[in-house]
Amino acid sequence: MAFEYAPLIALLPLASFVIALVAGEYLPKKGGLVGMAATGGSLLLSIWAMLRVASGGFYDETLYTWVAGVGEGTLSLSFGLLLDPLSTMMLVIVSLIAFLVHMFSLGYMNDEGETGLPRYYAGLGLFTFSMLSFVFADNLLMAFMFFELVGLCSFLLIGFWFREDAPPSAAKKAFLVTRFGDYFFLIGVVGILATFGTAQFAGEGAFPQLAEEAIVGGETLFGFPAGTWVTILGLLVLGGVIGKSAQFPLHTWLPDAMEGPTPVSALIHAATMVAAGVYLVARMYGFYALSPTAMAIIAFIGGFTALFAASMGVVKDDIKQVLAYSTISQYGYMMLGLGVAGYVAATFHLMTHAFFKALLFLGAGAVIIAMHHEQNMWNMGGLKDEMPVTYYSFLAGSLALAGILPFSGFWSKDEILYEALIAGLENPVLLAAYAMGLLAVFFTGFYTFRMVILTFHGEPRSDHAEHPVPLGWNTKIPLAVLGILATVAGFVNMVPVAELTGADITYLSHWLDSGPEQLAYSTYTATAEEFAHIHHAELTPLIPGAIALVLALAGAGTAVALYRGPHPVAHTDKLGGAKDVLVANYYQDEYQVWLAEGLTQRVARGADTFDQGVVDGVVNGISSVSLLGSGRVRRLQSGVVTNYAALITTALVVLLVAFGIYGGWF
Amino acid sequence: MVTDASTWIALAPVVVLAVTSFVLFLADSIKPGETNNALLAGLSLAGILGALAVSVWYFFTGVGRPEGLSLLADQVVVDGMSLFFTFVVASVAALVVLGSYDYLHDHPHKGEFYSLIVLATTGMALMANANSLVVAFVAIELSSLSSFALVASLKHNRGSIEAGLKYFLIGALSSAILVYGISLVYAVTGSLQLDAVAAGVAETDNIGILGIGVLMLVGGVAYKTASVPFHFWAPEAYEGAPAPVSAFLSSASKAAGFVIAFRVFIEGFPLETVVGLGIDWVLIFQVLAVVTMIVGNFAAAMQENVKRMLAYSSVGHAGYVLIGLAALGGGNDVAVMGAAMMHLLVYGFMNTGAFLFVALAEYRGVGRTFEDYNGLWHRAPIACAAMTVFLFSLAGLPIGGGFLSKYALFTAAIGAGYWWLAAVGALASALSLFYYSRLVKAILIEDPVREFDVSRQPVGLYVAIVAAAIMTIALLPAFPVVDLAQAAASTLLA
Repeated sequence: MAFEYAPLIALLPLASFVIALVAGEYLPKKGGLVGMAATGGSLLLSIWAMLRVASGGFYDETLYTWVAGVGEGTLSLSFGLLLDPLSTMMLVIVSLIAFLVHMFSLGYMNDEGETGLPRYYAGLGLFTFSMLSFVFADNLLMAFMFFELVGLCSFLLIGFWFREDAPPSAAKKAFLVTRFGDYFFLIGVVGILATFGTAQFAGEGAFPQLAEEAIVGGETLFGFPAGTWVTILGLLVLGGVIGKSAQFPLHTWLPDAMEGPTPVSALIHAATMVAAGVYLVARMYGFYALSPTAMAIIAFIGGFTALFAASMGVVKDDIKQVLAYSTISQYGYMMLGLGVAGYVAATFHLMTHAFFKALLFLGAGAVIIAMHHEQNMWNMGGLKDEMPVTYYSFLAGSLALAGILPFSGFWSKDEILYEALIAGLENPVLLAAYAMGLLAVFFTGFYTFRMVILTFHGEPRSDHAEHPVPLGWNTKIPLAVLGILATVAGFVNMVPVAELTGADITYLSHWLDSGPEQLAYSTYTATAEEFAHIHHAELTPLIPGAIALVLALAGAGTAVALYRGPHPVAHTDKLGGAKDVLVANYYQDEYQVWLAEGLTQRVARGADTFDQGVVDGVVNGISSVSLLGSGRVRRLQSGVVTNYAALITTALVVLLVAFGIYGGWF
Repeated sequence: MVTDASTWIALAPVVVLAVTSFVLFLADSIKPGETNNALLAGLSLAGILGALAVSVWYFFTGVGRPEGLSLLADQVVVDGMSLFFTFVVASVAALVVLGSYDYLHDHPHKGEFYSLIVLATTGMALMANANSLVVAFVAIELSSLSSFALVASLKHNRGSIEAGLKYFLIGALSSAILVYGISLVYAVTGSLQLDAVAAGVAETDNIGILGIGVLMLVGGVAYKTASVPFHFWAPEAYEGAPAPVSAFLSSASKAAGFVIAFRVFIEGFPLETVVGLGIDWVLIFQVLAVVTMIVGNFAAAMQENVKRMLAYSSVGHAGYVLIGLAALGGGNDVAVMGAAMMHLLVYGFMNTGAFLFVALAEYRGVGRTFEDYNGLWHRAPIACAAMTVFLFSLAGLPIGGGFLSKYALFTAAIGAGYWWLAAVGALASALSLFYYSRLVKAILIEDPVREFDVSRQPVGLYVAIVAAAIMTIALLPAFPVVDLAQAAASTLLA
């Protein structure tokens, strides 16, 4: 088999979307099984594609040109596939998570007797299709199109329970906030197409390569030095990334998006919507690595978001809210990693996070089923003994999230921090970003274990917590699979161990360094060093790793110390004024609402007044003049034929005289 | 020079039409008492479609290209342009005959009606082939005289009689102006054949007389194409005439008038010679184009009566096509004329369709004003959908070929350096959207005011309307036809 079957990876979920939409009502599980079959097929095909790539395969083909440019200087817009180590790895992750989410949904949605399930499974199918297509897109415009489709699907699924008040509003918010970022992305895409005449990620004449040549050649693009223009384009595209990956200041949609069904949250946070932003930066890393400014901004925003979101997670009482802020924070780490040229580290964390965050959401989903859709952690407690599978897998996920040895999150987060530190020792901006990321480790440990203790430990604090609903196989299997992955996935790239033993066990580095040179990790590092001036200090990874681990343990330990015992009490009041600020999420929503209502709406009203008064005034004036003129013209047509004859003769005479004089006929 | 037999073969489209009209007279005179509507309509349609098919066949086999076939001592020519316009005229005539089959079902003089339609079509087809002023004049009169009778064919309808009379009187005046112009040209150049006229123009000193002659020719053409200020007959005639006749006159007759204008002015009065003499007919057409676009569209905006609105819109469209003459000499001649011809082709379908919709409304006993058309959507969805296509395409929205032909026309004018003609055209189009969409709103959105008779199903009218709509839409993706129009135009300009 050749790579020609690779489009099926995305087309299978598309087929399940269509089937669920058309015939979902008549199918077993209302389309759930079809979705599982489709995503299962995608998973197998993705693994096969990954194996092909592992054995030296590479695929970069344009499959369909929908706008064919003719002649010199024109553009061709096309769809195509790019299968390299990065994209095949991501395909496996996305299809695996999608498959498990489908399975879990059978328990979370079908068994709970939800209505509208065909719509739900159709949405999941379309979501998976969009994300997979985004992942293997071979050009930026195609990526943009599916990026938008991903946004649309998240809108549809977050607002799944559209008859209630909150979900539609949350869906709208998610859509609008991400759209705000995508607006810049669109300009960036157009800019890249206009500048380089192509949006291909890879191959001869790909846009990162052209940008590099322009910088080396000292060209001037659109009136800017090439380097500045590349930075501008990179930052425009970054707008879409910040919106989708919920980075400060466009992160506000994500906590609200918890209104969607919990399996959808798992999908959004682990593998699709939010991951899309970070993946995009990794996909066009050769472009970002050319711009020191863009890299520094990515790193700084990432570090800041990591700390900022983690601090808000500390005071949340809703289990899903805690997870939501942890997602924002973890994607902040990935951005930090990308910004300091830690391409492998960020990709590594993208992978481990996908596993442990999907696990935590599905675990939370299991808890929510058991608790009859109660989400407040203060009404839980003591679930440990009633739900052992959920507890141990959730604990594995939590240890990974907190970054505690030897769970997967430790290895990847540690590698990001290590990369940030060695780059930061050469550059104070990056060092500040590192400091924020490091501090966030403590908060992460704290809120994670606060969540674990409040949910599972102590005495049950409500009737539901005392008698939880038993869970079926369809919830336990995904938890078990992800629990194992969250525990062991970190072993693929144990940098400190490699350093300590000298063994060659950094498999992920090698994986991302295989494939074509243009897309290889070592090329990116070299480019970042040459163009973005990111240099790495010599330092053993052991000491920074130890610091991070100590901080994580300290955070976790503090949480355990504060909330252990049969009847934990809230300590948030001790924070004083800081509590109000944190509970109110630093008044981010307030200022954004003010921006929308106080500022934008006022400007819009002013523009409206201008439009109504001045523009419409002119238009109305013209139209009344026109109507008056029309009335006059109409009166010419008197209906009396002798008048017409007179008018025609007069007109002829006038024309005769005018042209006679003009042409000198007489 | 070609032999006599091949002369008639080359002129086959015109000959077929002429024969058809006589066959119709004959068929009707065998049994004058009882007329067979289906037979007469079928005969007319067969003749017209025959002529249409032959002209398409000739066009694509390359008859008259690149060099036109001069026949009958150069009085008549067959070339790409004549075939193109024969196609336009015959298409409109075919649609009109289809529509008339239902419209005439209780009309007492069907035989005369059909044969006059075919006779007028013959005249228009001949206009496309005319290569001398006298043939042009005879052809114009053939089509005009038939048209007067057609407009007045509802003998017991005062509006129809009045319209016919007015049309006849204005027509007589305009013919007088035209024939006087021809006589002046003959006096100066000593010839009526266009190439000989051109040769005579190059040598003459009688510039004043020639100038007056040319201006009078412009007047004659302006009358035939319903251009301001010779348009006064049009609203009256279109409103009073039976709606299929209005469709016929406003589409086919206009196209035929333009082919005469293209040929006479480009062949007979080549720009490179006459401009030096101070007889700049391009400038005259520029004035006419601007005035026609403005007056036609402004007047249309004020109408309450649908047919009258369409009549004025037809005047406005004459203004757009006049750009095809007014933008010549700017180095972009082939594109300009090709676009004008293309606009006439598209217009032939969309405007005929719109008038046939009015014919359907009259047939159903719907009133004449915009309000009477309220909510027709609920009664006749297919026809209303087609009407929406016609109106939006007339306005130049990208739902039909009207969008691209206007676009081609305006860009060609800009390319020739006459950006202000394009600007006036664009403004006029913007205004036209106002009154076209008013009608669309009445049909689609407003609530119906009353019931009307739906007992008989006018199959022919429906077929004609749907066919016109399909052609209107098809000319959007099939717009590369414009290359053919340009090919046809280039024979004349070569």
